[in-house]
Amino acid sequence: MKAPGGPPLLSVRNLDAGYGHVRVLQNVSLSVDAGRIVALVGRNGAGKSTLLRTLSGLNRAASGEITFDGQNIAGLRPHAIVAAGLLHVAEGRRLFRRQSVADNIELGRYGLRLGAEQHRQRMDRIHELFPVLQEKKDLPAGGLSGGQQQMLAIAQAMMREPKLLMLDEPSLGLAPVLVDQVLSAILTLRAQRVAILLVEQMVERALEIADEACVMQNGRMIASGPANEIATGDALRAAFMGDHGAPGHLQS
Amino acid sequence: MPLRAALPLVFQAAAIAIALLLPAFVGANSYALFVATQLGIYVIAAIGLNLLAGYAGQVSLGHAAFVAIGAYSVALLTVDHHWSFWAAAALGMVLAAGLGMLAVLPAFRLNTWYFAFITLAFALVFEKMIVEWRWLTKGFAGVVGVPPPSAFGFEFGPRPLYFTVVLVTVIAFILVRNVVHSRFGCAFVAVRDVEPAALAVGASPQLAKLTAFVISAALAGIAGAFFAVQKTVVTPDDFTADFSIFFLLTVVLGGLGTLWGPIIGALVFFLIPELLAGLQSWRMLIYGGLLLGLMLFAPHGLFGALRQGWRRFAPQAATPVLAAERAEHPPIAGLPLQVSGLRKRFGGVLALDAVDFHAPAGSCCAIVGPNGSGKTTLLNLASGYYVPDAGSVKIGRVEMLGSSAPRIATRGVGRTFQTPRLVADLSALDNVMLGAYTRERANLLSIALRLPSARAEAHRLREEALGFLHFVGVADRAETEAGEIPHGQQRLVEIARAMMGGARLILLDEPAAGLSMSELERLERLIARICELGATIVIVEHHLDLVANIASHVTVLDRGTVLAAGKPAEVFKDERVMRAYMGERALKTGAPA
Amino acid sequence: MDFDVVAHGIVAGSLYALVAVSFNILYRPTNVFNFAQGELVMLGAMIFASATSLAGMPWFAAFVATLVAVGLIGLVEERIAVAPILARSQTGTGWVITTLAVSLIISNLVGRFWGPDPILVKPPEPLSMEALDLGPSRISSYEIMLVIVTIVLVAIVESAYRTLKGKAVMAVAEDREAALLRGIDPGSLRRWSFFLGAAFAAMTGVLAAPILYASTSLGPDLLLKGFAAAAVGSIGNNRGALIAGYLIGVTEALGASLLSPGYQEAVIFIVVLTVLLLRPQGLFGSSTARTV
Repeated sequence: MKAPGGPPLLSVRNLDAGYGHVRVLQNVSLSVDAGRIVALVGRNGAGKSTLLRTLSGLNRAASGEITFDGQNIAGLRPHAIVAAGLLHVAEGRRLFRRQSVADNIELGRYGLRLGAEQHRQRMDRIHELFPVLQEKKDLPAGGLSGGQQQMLAIAQAMMREPKLLMLDEPSLGLAPVLVDQVLSAILTLRAQRVAILLVEQMVERALEIADEACVMQNGRMIASGPANEIATGDALRAAFMGDHGAPGHLQS
Repeated sequence: MPLRAALPLVFQAAAIAIALLLPAFVGANSYALFVATQLGIYVIAAIGLNLLAGYAGQVSLGHAAFVAIGAYSVALLTVDHHWSFWAAAALGMVLAAGLGMLAVLPAFRLNTWYFAFITLAFALVFEKMIVEWRWLTKGFAGVVGVPPPSAFGFEFGPRPLYFTVVLVTVIAFILVRNVVHSRFGCAFVAVRDVEPAALAVGASPQLAKLTAFVISAALAGIAGAFFAVQKTVVTPDDFTADFSIFFLLTVVLGGLGTLWGPIIGALVFFLIPELLAGLQSWRMLIYGGLLLGLMLFAPHGLFGALRQGWRRFAPQAATPVLAAERAEHPPIAGLPLQVSGLRKRFGGVLALDAVDFHAPAGSCCAIVGPNGSGKTTLLNLASGYYVPDAGSVKIGRVEMLGSSAPRIATRGVGRTFQTPRLVADLSALDNVMLGAYTRERANLLSIALRLPSARAEAHRLREEALGFLHFVGVADRAETEAGEIPHGQQRLVEIARAMMGGARLILLDEPAAGLSMSELERLERLIARICELGATIVIVEHHLDLVANIASHVTVLDRGTVLAAGKPAEVFKDERVMRAYMGERALKTGAPA
Repeated sequence: MDFDVVAHGIVAGSLYALVAVSFNILYRPTNVFNFAQGELVMLGAMIFASATSLAGMPWFAAFVATLVAVGLIGLVEERIAVAPILARSQTGTGWVITTLAVSLIISNLVGRFWGPDPILVKPPEPLSMEALDLGPSRISSYEIMLVIVTIVLVAIVESAYRTLKGKAVMAVAEDREAALLRGIDPGSLRRWSFFLGAAFAAMTGVLAAPILYASTSLGPDLLLKGFAAAAVGSIGNNRGALIAGYLIGVTEALGASLLSPGYQEAVIFIVVLTVLLLRPQGLFGSSTARTV
């Protein structure tokens, strides 16, 4: 499955970041290959969201390297990172609630020149994956249910055909049947060669669909490796149960 | 350290000495004395504007109008109705504050720039009305021959007038300083920078802005009263928009939100025009350029620049905090919280649906659940930050549904926030003292006058706040600005603030998020100790270990409904809970903790 | 009620609505309410007056030149006085003072350059300021055209918000960070809206000049009446601004004819305060939820 040789799509090395005086991320390294799903797990406050925010340029990295698709993106502004093909669907969906579903999808391609044919193809692909969005296209996005809002947020990102999609807690507040739908959409995207970096608190479900996984604790990456190994390893339990397990063991 | 403490005193003494000795060196009818008197008058108004714009964050662009109200009151009442200056000046203060309040009242509920616009419009309308109401104000010609003030049959010449103005300036400075250092001043800054913090301690933002405005307008009114007697003629041309800009520039130049700013600003301002007399016609252009340049390059003005230089020259030594270690703390009578049928919808998402939750008095209850399950929404509804769509929130035995956040805080409900909401510009100690906002009995007047009772109370509260900082274990940071304190300790300061408010029900929103292992242990011990004192604690937390250790009762929320409730050990064994929280495998490998 | 008074109120109200719309254009993506907007209107009138009356430029060429020139000044204002303040804090209101400073600078420079005398500006052919005899009302062909043009302009601005760029502006207004994550650059939209907001203000000045003359006193007056129309009509709502503009224009005209011209400002002020006291969000806005 893994692309033979070649550098990873996203490579993060020794990243330090935080807010103001508070250092949240310490010496974080991570890599994501094209077309793979990488689950990023850890307890609340472990630094997962901060890591995503730093990768998408909302936060500044204090030090470290971020290379995406052969380009150094550390210090680029968010819209430039989006243009490079790295998209971030933030926690809580963050839609434009007062605008219609159709307008929200259109905003996903802001600044992008698409031919009429290309545009139709992308819309078709979105509607094939999430038919409900076509039915509700004239509704304000704020009127959608939580699950539909999550689909809309992913649809916005799909308008750009991203190389890597970062999803922060896509199952947040969703009913189980909708969680299934969102997760199967993620698998469909992988089939279309989109790499996914998935932050998910339904750890079990995330590890089921992921190829690889990384575990974060207190702003550090304490383990990474194939998802099935992580799922049975000690690091996961340590990160969640708060055992005072020594960080760093189980480094693959 | 001694130099550091002595320097402000030396400056204050020097300033007063120069002010008092000046008349000895210049003639009674000299231009220098005239200018010095005028300077004092402007400083009085600028001190007020600084309290309003610098501390409370409400930029007034029409301060000239409030000065005009004071000036016209004195001019008309003394010339036409032969009132004494003192009575007329008092009425002028009341009118400036009262008329101004009518105009700016709608602005307090809105974004701060509405206030700027409305004061600008008020000044313009007032200027027009002075001209329009010729029968009252004598129109463009103005009121002439305003008599000097007199007392005990003695008429004030230029020198006594000068001394009176100096006295009033010193009094205004001291009153405003006392207010700034009190709970009111801290509340002003909280309203300016972190409104949720103000709400959490029970301070109403509208009332805080109004208080700052009334003091400010009254000072402008008294400045206007002296303006009238000094110039002896009052005309509409004295109170143009330029005059308002002049006050604003004075304050910005000296340093917005610094006590000495208005004085330094006015002094510099008076020297500059004298030096640049030839450039009179360029004045407004220079004002504009200065305002722009200062805001861009020196937002805290000359005083800010001096202070920065001084700090670099003499860095602050860690001040040892002298307070009795208070491990003991009187017991707290916990308040029960009873929530039933609570429902809240945001757009298409039902955040909470028919949620029941009960925290008996003196218990420690936890609310857990996956992200987005409605835990924080529940806290926000219970503390008045959101208004629920349906249901009931009883605190003690009283229904509090629909009450404002400050009212609920006043009932004895303290809370912390997911990201600590401290006022960054205030010290940790001031932040904690702000917690006692609704508990402090001393009113504005006794605080401004530093009456012995107010001083004693402030001293007692200060000791108490230090005690709480000891209690939570960050007393060594008492004098540090909150913005400079590490994240984990900010949380502890926030808890101290809630306790300082006399909270009997404390709502903690994810207190463990982002804490290191050692900080977590401290937090756990702290919560357990507060609970032992008798306070009711409701904690929203992801950290199941912490919850299992401290909570006697756990409620699990999932997608806005209660999934399970009961003792932690039982609840965490519940299959549905494990599935919602940990996924299938947790079921196979056994319960956490 | 005197029909003629109402008609002139509508004409004046159209101008106030245009100023309010220019505020809105600038406010939507930035949350900055430009205190120099009145001076930009004045600058538009002055540049246009000089270009046509003094330099003899043809109407349309002068119109375009004025809009571009003032638009660029708006852009400079954004770079110098607004961007640095917002870079320091997105939520602070330091820009109240800096945009006010810009207004002082513009008004004084213009005063030195052009002097205090108003300049007469003729309407473009074949319109004129000659009063037409239309039964009860004595209104000119230019004024009728101004009322129509205002409605058309508001419609054009509203339709601009239905383009993708317009939707992006609304997106930034609603959630700046979410917009960033969709590849929208708020900085570029802010620069554009300062350029367009300033150009629109200049156009308002050009349209106002035949009626009010071009003079330095135009600025503060239109600043406050434009603010009144924007606040009463709900900030950001252009159709609301149009209706509020009429409301304020007519109230002002009636106040002046029933009381005295000196009461114009006072009457408007009381209307604005009353509306804000009863409906803080303005007549045509919905209240927004509070969040922690």
